[in-house]
Amino acid sequence: MFKSLFRLRLFIRPYNGRLTLGIFAFLIARIFEGIVPIFMMMGIDKIGAGEVDLLIPVLGIIGGVLGRFIVVSFARLSVRRVALNIAYDLRQNFYTQLQDQGASFFNRYSIGDLMTRAVADISLIQRFISMGTILLVILVFATVVGFGFMLSLSPQLTMMILPPLPLVFFYAWYSSRRMGITSATVQNRLSDIGTHVQENLSGIRTIQAMTQEDNEIARFSKINNEYAEAFYEQSKINSLMTAWMPSFAAVSIIIILGVGGGMVKDGSLSVGAFAAFFMYVNMVIQPFRVAGFMVNLFQRAAIASNRLFEIFDLPPEIKDQPTGLSPDKILGQIDFRNLSYRYPDSSVQILNNINLSISRGESITIMGRVGAGKTTLLKLIIRLLDPPNNQIFVDNFDVHDYPLAQLRSQIAYVPQDAFLFGEPLEQNLSYDDANRPIEQIWEAADSAYLKKTIENFPDQMQTIVGERGVTLSGGQKQRATLARGLIRNASVLILDDCFSSVDTQTEDHILSELKRLRKNQTTILVSHRVSTARHSDRIIVLSEGQIVETGSHEELIQQAGYYAELEKVQREGDSKNAGSHMESLRE
Amino acid sequence: MNKHQPAIANSSPQEHKPSPQPARDYSVFEAELSGQVFSLQLLRRLMQWMKPYRMTLFISAILILVSSSLQVLLPVILSLVVIDHIVMGMTDHLAPDMGMIAAVEQLSELFSLPPLIAACLVYAVVHLLWTITGHLHRMTLIHSVIKGLRDLRLDLFKHLETRPSSFYDRVAVGRVMTRVTNDIEALFELLRGVGTLLGEFVPFFVALGLLLVVSVKLTLLLLLVIPVMAGITALFRRMTRQLFRAVRLSLSALNQNLQENLAGLQVVQLSQRQGYNLTKYTGINKKNRNLEKETATIETIYGAFTDSVSGIALALVIYYGGGAVVQEQISLGGLVLFTRFIDMLFHPIVVLGEQTNILFRAMASGERIFQALDWDERVREPESPASLPDRLKGELVFNNLSFAYDSIMPVLHNLSFTIPAGETLAIVGPTGSGKSTITRLLGRFYDIEDNKIFLDGVDLNKIHTRDLRKRIGIVLQDFHIFSGSIYNNIALGDPHITREIAIKAAKTVNAHAFISQLSDNYDTQLSERGQNLSQGQRQLLAFARVLAADPEILILDEATANIDTETELLIQDALNKLTKNRTSILIAHRLQTIQNADRILVLNNGRVEELGNHTELMLKKSMYYRLHSLQFETESDE
Repeated sequence: MFKSLFRLRLFIRPYNGRLTLGIFAFLIARIFEGIVPIFMMMGIDKIGAGEVDLLIPVLGIIGGVLGRFIVVSFARLSVRRVALNIAYDLRQNFYTQLQDQGASFFNRYSIGDLMTRAVADISLIQRFISMGTILLVILVFATVVGFGFMLSLSPQLTMMILPPLPLVFFYAWYSSRRMGITSATVQNRLSDIGTHVQENLSGIRTIQAMTQEDNEIARFSKINNEYAEAFYEQSKINSLMTAWMPSFAAVSIIIILGVGGGMVKDGSLSVGAFAAFFMYVNMVIQPFRVAGFMVNLFQRAAIASNRLFEIFDLPPEIKDQPTGLSPDKILGQIDFRNLSYRYPDSSVQILNNINLSISRGESITIMGRVGAGKTTLLKLIIRLLDPPNNQIFVDNFDVHDYPLAQLRSQIAYVPQDAFLFGEPLEQNLSYDDANRPIEQIWEAADSAYLKKTIENFPDQMQTIVGERGVTLSGGQKQRATLARGLIRNASVLILDDCFSSVDTQTEDHILSELKRLRKNQTTILVSHRVSTARHSDRIIVLSEGQIVETGSHEELIQQAGYYAELEKVQREGDSKNAGSHMESLRE
Repeated sequence: MNKHQPAIANSSPQEHKPSPQPARDYSVFEAELSGQVFSLQLLRRLMQWMKPYRMTLFISAILILVSSSLQVLLPVILSLVVIDHIVMGMTDHLAPDMGMIAAVEQLSELFSLPPLIAACLVYAVVHLLWTITGHLHRMTLIHSVIKGLRDLRLDLFKHLETRPSSFYDRVAVGRVMTRVTNDIEALFELLRGVGTLLGEFVPFFVALGLLLVVSVKLTLLLLLVIPVMAGITALFRRMTRQLFRAVRLSLSALNQNLQENLAGLQVVQLSQRQGYNLTKYTGINKKNRNLEKETATIETIYGAFTDSVSGIALALVIYYGGGAVVQEQISLGGLVLFTRFIDMLFHPIVVLGEQTNILFRAMASGERIFQALDWDERVREPESPASLPDRLKGELVFNNLSFAYDSIMPVLHNLSFTIPAGETLAIVGPTGSGKSTITRLLGRFYDIEDNKIFLDGVDLNKIHTRDLRKRIGIVLQDFHIFSGSIYNNIALGDPHITREIAIKAAKTVNAHAFISQLSDNYDTQLSERGQNLSQGQRQLLAFARVLAADPEILILDEATANIDTETELLIQDALNKLTKNRTSILIAHRLQTIQNADRILVLNNGRVEELGNHTELMLKKSMYYRLHSLQFETESDE
């Protein structure tokens, strides 16, 4: 488990010098700290002897304090800066690593999971390096230096206070562990509260419509109580620790009090040394309090770094290795030759021996049920998913021959889920090239039937959208992403079911605009609507990864297959026939 | 426009109009409150929730006093009893020993123990008592605080749960949510902080009193250090407050950037923006690191400074106290007592400094919580609600209904039509024509004028929303799937809906087939928002839910997205069963749905454009005809 912590040394290496210097400075600081009780002892003993010249002990104390102040500041700052630099490097690494990942990576890791790694795990490692180092160093040095000074004062008394120390350490370790467990419970319960509230508020209309308020309040009350209980449990362990730690230390104090007091009385120990002993005991015991916390920190940091290296170790999914043979300009002919595809980690053949030739300037609609492989087919063209070699050809060159950048910029793909960034619309629509003239952006918006909508916004093109901006309707979002695709005027345009939230009237406008704009360019559509499909030159029906029908609208109606059935259903959708339709479709 | 006015602005003397809603400033739910002000009023209000637990709080206060006194006794035993009395053999004591010498002597006589051992025993007993009282104090305090805040949180949740839709239209859910989570947490922090401060300050004053008796001069000298310390602490707080804020902002910008990049990675890759985005991210990352380094520098120096103060104070005590001892103004033990009390005097200042940030944050949180609690927006309920019969017939009458969400943009204009009991009415119309608004008004999510909608002849405003919503089953466009099992999602906590009823409902609406294919059938846990179901499956599940509830009136605002044909047919079939013998309104985004309807209402710009059955409307060759032919144009149209 701690192997991954060890791997962190690669990230520490650039700052090795600084870190070593910092650790060394901690030792010096401890020695300065250890000097102070010695001078105090000297002062008290002088006073006890009736002397009034106290300048040396006082200057000694001040010197020790100032020396420690300077050295310890330097030491802590060095270590903290190293930790911050490492956190910076880890973040950069993480970001870069993710940029080249593809679809199957994101199937495996949710964004929430990745964010936790980027936020919580990195900051834990940062804390591990700064706090963990400091604590470890303090613990070791305080023990070594403190005992060193005590031994020099009275070896006999020093030995006497040793017995309770293991107990202190054990108790600290034990209760910190319990603390760790209860803290996790508190965190979980708190996140339960968050989930419940979030769910409730976003579904508030359903809840109110179904008069579920009382039920939900009762459920919340239960979760709320559980949280309060966990919190109480945690506080109890905390309070017990606050109570018992000094009590264990008190055993040492009482030993000093009894034995040391007797030694003072018979003159073998001075009053000053007696008082100094109390200070050293504090110095030695104090760090033990955090021993358990430290163990906990190490464990958690080990898990965190494990999780980070898991991401760092993944190779980029899609390799960009152009052969240099391919032409600079894609014209728009696409051929699938015996294309078969299976997702990594899956045993299901999602595409099976697809043969299809799409000629330049053709418009084609792909239809089929959910899960038929439509989106997979499209994503393979621009290598969002990586196809096998020599199965997809663009202008008669294997897609792998092209530089990835060229493939993806000259073939415009508009994905199913409309995603907008939290930036002004202008930047969103010209996301691929920030230098596009504003006229061009308006033009694309117009083609996507979005111009009027944008003109109605007070900030027009400068309207900030996305999660934290103006909320657009599903249809508006889809039209915006459509405009983002149209603006590129690419040789091939792929629209992956991106009219699903657009009403039929608007869709009709857009389709006729597409017809006008893309007369000689290749356009590939995915749709469930016959009304959409009928506009295109050719229609392909996919079923279970295979092409089952192909032809024009009229031809497919003649074939009386899935498409014809779909057309019939969508035309009539008559309730009487629903049953029989279902029967026929299931066959 | 002159003939009617928006519903909210409209009023007539007899009729009860929607209570004049004050212009509300929803932006308060956006703004980050300053929280720099310490407000006693806020604390007083918070104390309201502590009231039920005031007895425990009182006991806690007594315990802290006892515990602090015991804590102060410990150094007294060490210095005045052991050093002065036993070791130095002093008999007349300059400093008050608080009865410790007598206690030690009595114990020593009683069991004939050496005085030193007796002193150790007394020390052990006092320490033990201190430990116990301290723990009890903390636990009683925490107990009452946890309970009080738990109650506050529940009250806040109850309050939010019953705010109307008009509220949620305007505010972001995330912002409201953090009030229940983070803001209440901040109060926990605050009260924990108060506990810590009490644990520091009560001993501070007890120790101070004792030191003043031992030596006024030396004590005053030490107290001089406090203003210096407080000054530097305040300076540090001032320097870091802006910095902390800047760090918080830059960190959240950093995370937001990453989050967005991840969410839109496909677009980033398609647009070849990786390089550009990395540069942007690096900029934010660098800025964040530099800010953090700046903060670390200040924090480190301040931390080292507070560690050093007690050392300096020690030097002061030795230097000035030494003379006093020699002149026999104080005893050697008294001097040692001073050295032991130094930390007790200065530590509270450091803790106070640490707590101010928490305090200010908590003040802002308290302000936000009470602001939400004070938000009294609600749907108007009748004073004496009409009682409804066990089973309604289900006739709906719209009488000249107009409505506006805000007074500027009217959405519905003078709608008048009747839906006879048992009829299925489809409402169609372009986006923004007001279809969904009708649904919302029927569910009374918004206030309407009196006598505008009648259910079986009863004005909707005369029916309590709870009664109404039990009779009207609404399937919203964005219907909500609760995390929990399928069964729970159908029954929704209604004890009358048994498993058998739920399964029967699911079977009727064709949901049973897919549910029985899931791993745990009806016990399959659904993730938040039902992401593990397809859109069609979610729709069927919502149908099952509404059928199980068996309302007299069904309103369905269907989802727009395309569904594959097979599921489409299942949905159509389910709809037929749902609407049978039930007054139903279908907000249809797809024309397939219309085929289930007896009549069709075409809505345009908030007005009734056409109303009739399919054949009638097709013959009119007007708006419905156009809408219909757009989707189902036949070859001859071209």
